[in-house]
Amino acid sequence: MTSSIEFEQLNKFQSDLDKCTKCGFCMSYCPVYQEERVESSVARGKIMLIRALLSGELTATDEMADQLNRCTLCMTCAQNCPAGTQVPSIVTAARADKVRQRGLSFPYNIIFRWLLPRRRLFGYVVRFASWFQGIFMPRTEGTIRHLSLFLSALGKGRHIPQIAPKFLRQSVPEINRPPDGVEVKYTIGYFTGCMTDFVFPELGKKIVSFLTGNGVEMVVPRGQGCCGAPVFLGAGDFDTGRMMADANVKAFKDLDYIITDCATCASAMKDYARFLADGGERARDYADFADKVKDITEFLVDILQLPPSAYRVADELKGKTVTWHEPCHLGRYLGVKEQPRQILKSLADINYVEMPDADRCCGMAGTFSIYYYDLSRKIADRKIADIESTGADIVVTDCPGCQIQLTDSLIQHGMPVKVMHIMELFG
Amino acid sequence: MITSKHIDRLRQIVGKENILTSREDLVAYSYDATNLWTHMPDVVVLPTNTEQISEIMKLANENKIPVTPRGGGTNVSGGSIPIKGGIVLCTTRMNRVIEINKNNLNAVVEPGVVLQDFQDALAREGLFFPPDPQSFSGCTMGGVVAENSGGPSCLKYGVTKQYVLGLEVVLADGRTMKIGGLTPKNRTGYELIMLFTGSEGTLGIITRITLRLLPAPKANKTVVAVFSDVAVAGETVSEIIASGILPAKIEFIDNWTFEKFKGLLPQDVLDSSQVILLIQVDGLPETVEAEARQIVDICKKGGASEVRMPEDQAEVDRYWQARSAHFSDISSRTHTIINEDVSVPRDRIAEFIRISQEKAKQYDVPISFAGHAGDGNFHPVVLTDTRDKEHFQRAMRCVDEIIETALSLGGVLSGEHGIGLEKQRFLKKAMDPQAIEIMRQIKDVLDPNHILNPGKIWEEAPDDE
Repeated sequence: MTSSIEFEQLNKFQSDLDKCTKCGFCMSYCPVYQEERVESSVARGKIMLIRALLSGELTATDEMADQLNRCTLCMTCAQNCPAGTQVPSIVTAARADKVRQRGLSFPYNIIFRWLLPRRRLFGYVVRFASWFQGIFMPRTEGTIRHLSLFLSALGKGRHIPQIAPKFLRQSVPEINRPPDGVEVKYTIGYFTGCMTDFVFPELGKKIVSFLTGNGVEMVVPRGQGCCGAPVFLGAGDFDTGRMMADANVKAFKDLDYIITDCATCASAMKDYARFLADGGERARDYADFADKVKDITEFLVDILQLPPSAYRVADELKGKTVTWHEPCHLGRYLGVKEQPRQILKSLADINYVEMPDADRCCGMAGTFSIYYYDLSRKIADRKIADIESTGADIVVTDCPGCQIQLTDSLIQHGMPVKVMHIMELFG
Repeated sequence: MITSKHIDRLRQIVGKENILTSREDLVAYSYDATNLWTHMPDVVVLPTNTEQISEIMKLANENKIPVTPRGGGTNVSGGSIPIKGGIVLCTTRMNRVIEINKNNLNAVVEPGVVLQDFQDALAREGLFFPPDPQSFSGCTMGGVVAENSGGPSCLKYGVTKQYVLGLEVVLADGRTMKIGGLTPKNRTGYELIMLFTGSEGTLGIITRITLRLLPAPKANKTVVAVFSDVAVAGETVSEIIASGILPAKIEFIDNWTFEKFKGLLPQDVLDSSQVILLIQVDGLPETVEAEARQIVDICKKGGASEVRMPEDQAEVDRYWQARSAHFSDISSRTHTIINEDVSVPRDRIAEFIRISQEKAKQYDVPISFAGHAGDGNFHPVVLTDTRDKEHFQRAMRCVDEIIETALSLGGVLSGEHGIGLEKQRFLKKAMDPQAIEIMRQIKDVLDPNHILNPGKIWEEAPDDE
């Protein structure tokens, strides 16, 4: 038996590891298995590999790292597991222990350890990189890409939205009050996430104006940074992740609600307590913080309880057929399933169509799509077929990561369907 | 036994993207859904067509390399564990549904099609394939045929062998053989299909399957009956069958997994009961309604403490999901489970359960029962822990006696899981020695070098526990 210190994080999830009974039900749900059809892609296989790692039968080789990375953390297996095995937690913990043992490889060590935690510097690098974007890769009309992905995706022919000429933090003040005459109902924090800040600032501005117009005072704390998802969930770097978590907790300290327009950011921030808390005080702070984090549709429907009349579809989008892609992090992780649909169904000016398997993973999964671009594309192809079957003009979602994936895949398929954030529907 | 030259040749046959040799991948093919055995293969191949399989078998036969066929690897008898190493031949990449023919009521599939995917495709055409092993979301059609799978619906519809019309099989020496055809009736020669249906991968590799289908029943109705006494539940099953109604399923769940029914049934009823029967009738809307009502009456008269006929489909689904989760639920309670699969004549169910419970008490081991009560196929599960030698030995002795009990009541060793590794120690007791001898001779004809799934069924595995 290898020493338990080597597997500090996995040891925390031992009871989950014990739950798996190898029944193999996960095979029918895993998007990676459905493409590859090998045992190591699916939850049961990964759990058996991790058990072998813990027993010393296997060691933390590059091959093992590859097996652990080949998972989108979409949580579909866990949701359907008869024994209730929380596979994403186990895979994340295994990634963390691997990083502790073997470190991160280039260029991720630079990006994750050094760049992402330094928001302003990160901004400069993104800006710098954007100057070269047109030279190295096809530009996509309209928008985006996460920096780390952006750098790594160079040369892979992916359609990457442009870095915005002016970042969100440069475009909106720290405090945004409702217009005169509108009563302040709530004062909330807006966690903008890297994507909205650097690539989709127009979305951010729209959200600020929508919410302030509906009586919400919006604080955009300057001290906020990256949520940490690519760092601690994707790459398993818990030490850097903890630094980022602390910065965000501090930045939003005095606010009652923290809204996000990115399901991944929201769920990563809610996961600080599960993965990054290392003691009493942090655990409490992270748990309190998690309670305050709300997805924007959840906030609009459950807390602000806006009437349908508050949602006015932009003139140019009236009469369009719209479908909804449910991000894994929104539906399965946050349990926000009905709220966005409730908004969409209430819109008289669009024709809403539910797509088949709307909650199926799009295959983006952050760094996963860099490591395994071809696999990620294959997973996306099924989503594209589902989108096509609805005849929609627009697919809306609530996660900039999914937006990039869908945009890229739709362009690759030569389909004219537009990809938008749900909040972009409104004028 | 296997050399790098052989592996190079295999790579040539299937292509480099269809061969796995890393230690990690070999670990991932060292197990199935049982938990008493693991053994790593030397190499895993994922062929994509019959010709490749034929070439693989030629190579293996010439060099006497063991070949363990595998699909989803969900079986619960140890059948897909490469207990003697060698090649794992995994069919998951041969997963095309080649044809679904509504006029002929048949379908042609490759062995790697997942049963659930097949059912989904059939449902879109208003058709169905009745066998429904509870591993349906992972198991593949090759395994369904090779294990002659059953499941709850077999009460009314029979098991897999009643639906196999034709097979393409690659033999141990690489020859390809087509048997059967497309028609439901076929009296041409010996029923060779039956040799491979239930062969557990020991006689050939199934590469293509033609199946008989049925039109999907238009309606179904579920009755839930709760009993405070096991024997009463057993008698009620007999009364339902004797009443002239043939339900599609009669499933028996004991109070070990009542947790899953929380919120569906009143807590005080759950607390004071021992058995839930889930009964499903299917057919035309008019008839299922009347039959379900008749079953409700029988259950009430029989002494059920609670009888329900849920109208809401979502609620019905929750009951059946609770049933499907039984195996995993029990497995997650302890380190090791021994999941048996005996079948007893229906009128001996109550007696079988009573004696088994006494045995469990005598050996002081926890026991749970779930099963297809309608056809007498029971899954007594003994909970133990291989790390606790003394407990494990007691559990094994208890299981041995339970199996003896089933056999003495006129039952059989395995209703649907197969022999594999799990039950081979009982084979001599459960089968006529003459029949075992004939099996041996058949094996020698079809696989003279004994390379196909060696160590399974009658051929004893090396004792490496």
